[in-house]
Amino acid sequence: MPLVSIVMLCWNRLEDVRESLTRIRLIEYPELEVIVVDNGSTDGTTEMIEREFPEVRLLRMTENIGIAAYNRGFERARGEYLVIIDDDSFPAPKAIDRMVRKFERDPDLGAVAFDVRNFYHYDEVAQVEEHESSAKNSSATAAHYYMSFNGAGVGIRTDLFRRVGFYPEEFFLYNNEMDSAFRIWDAGYRIEFHSDVVAYHKYSPVNRVSWRAPYYYVRNAFWLVWKNYPAPMALRLTRSLLFKCVHASLEQRTWIYLKAMRDAFRQAHLIQGKRKPVREEIALNLRVPYDVFFTFYR
Amino acid sequence: MEYQRPLNALIIRSASFQQLDQNLPELLAAFPDHRFDMLTHEHGMKLALKYQDLNRIISYSHSGSFSIRRREPGLREIRYDVVIIPVANLTGAGFLNVLFFSLSIKTNRRFLCNMVSDIKRVTVPAILLKVLWSIINKFVSGLLTLATYPILRLALPRLLSRLDDRSRKGNI
Repeated sequence: MPLVSIVMLCWNRLEDVRESLTRIRLIEYPELEVIVVDNGSTDGTTEMIEREFPEVRLLRMTENIGIAAYNRGFERARGEYLVIIDDDSFPAPKAIDRMVRKFERDPDLGAVAFDVRNFYHYDEVAQVEEHESSAKNSSATAAHYYMSFNGAGVGIRTDLFRRVGFYPEEFFLYNNEMDSAFRIWDAGYRIEFHSDVVAYHKYSPVNRVSWRAPYYYVRNAFWLVWKNYPAPMALRLTRSLLFKCVHASLEQRTWIYLKAMRDAFRQAHLIQGKRKPVREEIALNLRVPYDVFFTFYR
Repeated sequence: MEYQRPLNALIIRSASFQQLDQNLPELLAAFPDHRFDMLTHEHGMKLALKYQDLNRIISYSHSGSFSIRRREPGLREIRYDVVIIPVANLTGAGFLNVLFFSLSIKTNRRFLCNMVSDIKRVTVPAILLKVLWSIINKFVSGLLTLATYPILRLALPRLLSRLDDRSRKGNI
């Protein structure tokens, strides 16, 4: 059975990390390695991991470097497949076995996007399909557009992810999955959601800091466009984003979107040399929810 | 005995399934005796089917965001007692397109359900007022965008050229 590397990034969430690592021990797949990359936690998270989860490979960053820390984990992963999770998410017991079977059956499948569900409520509202046959068609796709994935639960072929450069470190936070999705699709692989491959996420709306999400989503939206789209489409989308930034700023009475746009231009040197337009088919069909990036402020 | 049509409700899936996992029990409690349908984009169909309390899942036949300009033909002839618009924040800011889209669905009552499952009624006049305000904002935004567009038209190609992957250029 191929080795699967679970890579988790954490920062000051001791109890959530403890819970996730405890749940990972229940996964029904024997060939697993678990890598936790700590982004400079100060709450005792790393000490807890060393004490209670000695099987985990722990990588410590000296400070919070954002999603670049994930890449440090990916670089050291030995598995044929990577499973990427948050520090407050974990795969369901059968998820990884099902994921591996899908990869092994379909060489053009580049990423299995997990159905990431609410840890506190999912089981009470859903028909839980624990005994579902892996032969049943569980792929949740659309006929006329392509999808990205949720960073709280995704499986990716390690070799492919290495070839496309892992996550874009310059993004720091948010929209990194979208950028990777462009490159995975452009490399000739597919990304598919599968309804029988579930991850649980401790969805906690009250914990979200007000400014970071809208700022980074919008700044990085400009960079998504500039890195990935052919020039005529990039011009059109930049104009559209400019309009949305001004409009959302007026509607929501905040400067955050304009600051994000300003910094997208000011900090563009961070993506210098990284622009690689995708094929037109990908640019036209990969669904990017630009409107959603303007909904995180309040 | 007079037949009483069951009450029906429609959830427009404008928030993540993670949030809906949390919202759904609250909605079922707030609207007992209602039969719930859900309108979702095509890629969400299989995931929505997991909800044991939903009567019907309707696929939105467009790939873009919910929009009054992209009405759902399958909903034209149906009247709902309640239409629910989940919003992925506290206030609904940024979700006006979904609120406006909900006006294309026949119903007497519309409700917002936010990320912490607060359920608030929203009326047609309130939506239309928001739309009017948005139109004014869009006009101003449009003017500002138009004013800056010539600079963008000149500057962006140069910026994109600077950002190009040099190794790719060398291989052409």
